[in-house]
Amino acid sequence: MENIFLKPGKWQKSNLKFKLARSRNYLFVPVIFLTFMLIFFVSSCTKEKSFPEKIRLGYLQSDIHQLPAFVALEQGFFKSEGLNVEVAGVFPSGPEEMSAFASGDLDVGYVGISPFITARANGKIQAVAVAQCNAEGSALVVAKKEPVSSVPDLKGKTVAIPGHATVQDILLRRLFLNNKIDLKQVNIIVLKPPEMIGALQTGQIDAFLAWEPYPSKAVGGQIGRVLTRSGQIWPGHPCCVLVVQEKLLKERPQVVDALVRAHSKAIKFIREKPEEAIKIGQKYTGMDEEIIQNALSNVKYDYFPDSVAAEEYVNLIKNLGYISVQNEKQFAQDMFYLKFVEQIKQN
Amino acid sequence: MGKSKNIWSILACVIIFGFWHFFSLLYGNNKLPSPVSVYKGLIEIAVIGLPPGNILWGHLFASLYRVLVGFFVASAIAIPLGLLMGFIEWVRALLNPIVETLRPIPPLAWVPLAILWMGIGNPSAIFIIGLGTFFPVLLNTISGVENTPETLVETAYTLGAKQSDVVVKVIFPGAFPAIFTGLRIGLDIGWMTLVAAEFTGIRSGYGLGYMIMVARDLQRADQIMAGMVVIGLLGYIFDFTWRQLEKRVLQWR
Repeated sequence: MENIFLKPGKWQKSNLKFKLARSRNYLFVPVIFLTFMLIFFVSSCTKEKSFPEKIRLGYLQSDIHQLPAFVALEQGFFKSEGLNVEVAGVFPSGPEEMSAFASGDLDVGYVGISPFITARANGKIQAVAVAQCNAEGSALVVAKKEPVSSVPDLKGKTVAIPGHATVQDILLRRLFLNNKIDLKQVNIIVLKPPEMIGALQTGQIDAFLAWEPYPSKAVGGQIGRVLTRSGQIWPGHPCCVLVVQEKLLKERPQVVDALVRAHSKAIKFIREKPEEAIKIGQKYTGMDEEIIQNALSNVKYDYFPDSVAAEEYVNLIKNLGYISVQNEKQFAQDMFYLKFVEQIKQN
Repeated sequence: MGKSKNIWSILACVIIFGFWHFFSLLYGNNKLPSPVSVYKGLIEIAVIGLPPGNILWGHLFASLYRVLVGFFVASAIAIPLGLLMGFIEWVRALLNPIVETLRPIPPLAWVPLAILWMGIGNPSAIFIIGLGTFFPVLLNTISGVENTPETLVETAYTLGAKQSDVVVKVIFPGAFPAIFTGLRIGLDIGWMTLVAAEFTGIRSGYGLGYMIMVARDLQRADQIMAGMVVIGLLGYIFDFTWRQLEKRVLQWR
């Protein structure tokens, strides 16, 4: 038996022959390699735009302020940004949604700025607002028969709000403050918005301050009339915001970036195609076209928040004794993360 | 015996507080407030109020009023009705299907109807609490009448007693221990339905259940638990008092 290791010349010769025979094949190696690289590159590019993990979204029931959420879901804006958004909860009011945030059942949520501030300040949630949803959009409605023509006429009357530390609670107190009315002179009670219209109709309450479309519904049903819109109480006041878990922002900022882009697309859609947006609003609130149309005229959709107004909000909530914050300015700055909306604004 | 019982009770309290504090450290004070935070939250409600201005005593008296009125009204209807249903067969046959159908409906389900029928405020809250109290009192009264020894009734008749005498002098005293137990359970359930009763549409802005709702709005888990502690303590005090009363009133037994 021939030992090739003992005869290196022969081994080298045969090996050389082998090498030569394969040399043409070797040309294919870089080609195949490059092809794989290309496939990998392309797939990694698309991967960057696709986030397979579910993003759990929460919003408020029948709140037309949150139309951008409904539009983004219906028009597939979340999907086109590569997001796999699942509606994980629809809530009757902001505080309940914030409790779901605290328990970790939601990743993102559309919620009133006031419950968000309260939950963050009281240490219940570790979340930040990454965009605004709308400004204004609430109204103070009085019973049609009620002889109330101005705010001071509300002295001695019963006025309903959706809850303590809600946007409407803050607005009502600011309205009374502006009109120098002592809060003790008005009976403020808590009722959920769907119950407000019935209570107004049966004379159990004299007025209510709620988010749209409930004021428009009361007006449309000939039950109430608008005494003042929230834009008149506080022009351009911040209302709903898009809130995300701090953990999500820290670990997967690209997801939040995509989310904010989808949100801004939805707001653009509402501005450019109001008729289609109204139809989506109808679907999500179950209310008539006319009511939604009237409601929309009272809401300003804008993804960029007014940080000065937000700070004023924090001050108001603190003065009511709902939260205790050492440095309001710092708190108001920290509760927003606006890098993504700033990028959109610049483009 | 009494002394050793007290020691066990104190030991149980220490263990419960110890576990509570331990789990609070484990899960974080925001999710499960420690006993100390709950105490501080309670003091805050007593001094500042919740919402600020509406202090603890106002909430306490408002709820006491609702629970006691609901309890008395419900008992005043349930005891005579229970006696009738226990004593007269056709009354029982007539009402039993209605009672058995209404009994399992949770009081919370009645809230929207209560508001629709009685409006926002005390009447609907008292109605909800009354509903919680009504059925245990009624059922215990019926079973008390049923369990009165037949020989006693028959003996009374043999001795020439009239039907009204039998009801007042034999059946009612015979059913009394069961009625007393029914009243105690009814009062307990009255406290349990308090939060549901004050869930919505409280006109005065006072009530322990309402206070818990406000604490939820303000995301204050410590004050939610403080409200629960107050309701629990009140329930305990009532139960304790009732048992003492039971011992004295039913001494003959």
